[in-house]
Amino acid sequence: MARIELVNLTKTFGPVVAVRDLSCVIEDGEFVVFVGPSGCGKTTTLRMIAGFEDPSAGEVRIDGRVVNDVEPRDRGLGMVFQTHALFPHKNVAQNIEFGLRMKRVPRAERARRVRHVADQVHIAHLLDKMPGQCSGGEAQRVALARTLVTEPSTFLLDEPLSSLDAKLRRELRAECDRLHQALKRTFIYVTHDQEEAMTLADRIVVMRAGAVEQSGSPMQIYSDPVNAFVADFFGSPSMNLVAGEVVPVDGAKRFRSPRFDLPLPPRFAAVAPGRVTLGIRPEHVGVRRGDHGDTALPVRLVEPLGKDTLLYFDDGTPRAFIAVSEGLHLAELAPGAPVALAFDPARLHLFGEDGRRVGGEL
Amino acid sequence: MTKSNRRRIASLVRHGLLGLWAVIAFFPIYWMVATSFKPDTQWFAWPPVYFPDPPTLANYLNVWFGAEQYASTQYAISSQKPLVSLGNSAIIATASTVLAVLAGSVIAYGVSRYRILSEARMFQLLMLRMIPPIVVVAPLSLYYSAVGLLDTFTGLILVYFLTSLPYAVWMTKSFIDEVPREIEQAAEILGASRWRTMFEIVLPLIRSGLVATFLFILILTWSEYLLALIITKTQVTTVPIELSKYQGSTEGRVYGRQAALAVGITVPLMIVGLIIRRHLARGFSFGMVRR
Repeated sequence: MARIELVNLTKTFGPVVAVRDLSCVIEDGEFVVFVGPSGCGKTTTLRMIAGFEDPSAGEVRIDGRVVNDVEPRDRGLGMVFQTHALFPHKNVAQNIEFGLRMKRVPRAERARRVRHVADQVHIAHLLDKMPGQCSGGEAQRVALARTLVTEPSTFLLDEPLSSLDAKLRRELRAECDRLHQALKRTFIYVTHDQEEAMTLADRIVVMRAGAVEQSGSPMQIYSDPVNAFVADFFGSPSMNLVAGEVVPVDGAKRFRSPRFDLPLPPRFAAVAPGRVTLGIRPEHVGVRRGDHGDTALPVRLVEPLGKDTLLYFDDGTPRAFIAVSEGLHLAELAPGAPVALAFDPARLHLFGEDGRRVGGEL
Repeated sequence: MTKSNRRRIASLVRHGLLGLWAVIAFFPIYWMVATSFKPDTQWFAWPPVYFPDPPTLANYLNVWFGAEQYASTQYAISSQKPLVSLGNSAIIATASTVLAVLAGSVIAYGVSRYRILSEARMFQLLMLRMIPPIVVVAPLSLYYSAVGLLDTFTGLILVYFLTSLPYAVWMTKSFIDEVPREIEQAAEILGASRWRTMFEIVLPLIRSGLVATFLFILILTWSEYLLALIITKTQVTTVPIELSKYQGSTEGRVYGRQAALAVGITVPLMIVGLIIRRHLARGFSFGMVRR
């Protein structure tokens, strides 16, 4: 059982501020994913929770107790590292057993628990092998087993899947999810992969430049991003962002840019005229063949993916404007042809010049 | 000339030069071994005798076992105790080297992981070793005589331990630096203390490096002469001191006996080197601890 509180946590390395005044509560049993681009401070935050970095300011509390001065081994946590960090000179069984040996668990009991946990993550056949003989996916399962066997109150996972290929990643992601369901322990997971964050998390904490940008459920983060950064970071392909301005026309507001001119729904009535960025996710862009839409753009590239088709439009910027259309019925659109696009007004976002979202709640 | 012919000739020239260099380098060693088997009439023979004729064990028997039948010759040496000094050297060199590598790796671990010494201090540590031993040897023998360490095992082991410690720290540190921190942190968060982590995780991982360091320091202490000469007298002689006794005595140079002794004190190092050669190759080309 562990509830972890981060209170005004700050970490500086010389002149570099890695984590800036971060406060966050991770409830017992919650699966929290810290996500952000590299260098955003997510791993430093995790390492402060683990005790490998001393906070420059602020507190880490586990179940109400301040643990700033508690050694990593006395915090009751388990950690899985990006590089697996298996002990290369010990075989798999000895690797898994290590934590139990440190806790002076009797030999017979150790053997039983190693066996059990090896079955749990499907590596029973590897017990006699050396880490060097294991594949990347196997090594990460061993690392997971090594942590599992000590029954920590909280699992810290530092980009555990980033060194694996896509298929293994999906497989082990499901494994993590299953373990969390089964163990009902706190999981704190760090990744730069928004898809991992979306699929695993109860709650996502989006970080940038050492600070939390937004914290919320995957759905909140996805459909209700507080700023352009979060909007852009989540989703694949990511949200279309179009620079333009809000202009008042006949008492209503319109969004205008060189290629777009569309009415804004009433919830944006209070937005002051001026420069903004319009955001809309590719799946909320309707493609109408021949029909009237909000605008018409020439097709630059068509990517049939099987289940959907990705359409890249030329909106006059280097970054293409993207729409996703279900099925393959648009797959043979010829590049260059203008196509009418319609935007779901309920899904439009506007971001001010500082990147923060403006306009009414969704 | 075709390209492949050019390559072949270049390769021939290269190997020829290397072969020549090898002959130049190995000749003195051959000469030592050959001389050790020569009867005394061939030691300074001119023209030189390249192959002992007939080979004899007289030098070995006299030097190592003080065999009396050879003691009657002009060059007989029977007053020394080479086997004893070989034993002394083995004890002193092994003990001081083991101590230096152990202490050195503990210090190196502290430097590598906890920055107990700054870069500048580390450099100073090595510079300390650059002081010519001749500078310290006189004061040292004064102190040693005051505290009764002169001509003792403890005295020599201590001074060898201290003089090789900087090397041990520098060498082992470079190996420890290569061990990924995350492996240690994994051990730490699994409940291992820092000492435990060091002895159970880090040191076994740099095993090959430790062996390489061990041999390097062993060779240095095994063949150290000056300090041994000044701070030992009769009780604790080491092999280099023993070797010097065969030179410049009233009879001139007793080459054959000296060569037999030299071969005898070289062989143990070669045996150690052979036993650990697998580690040496890895130790001196240390890199990947990770898979």
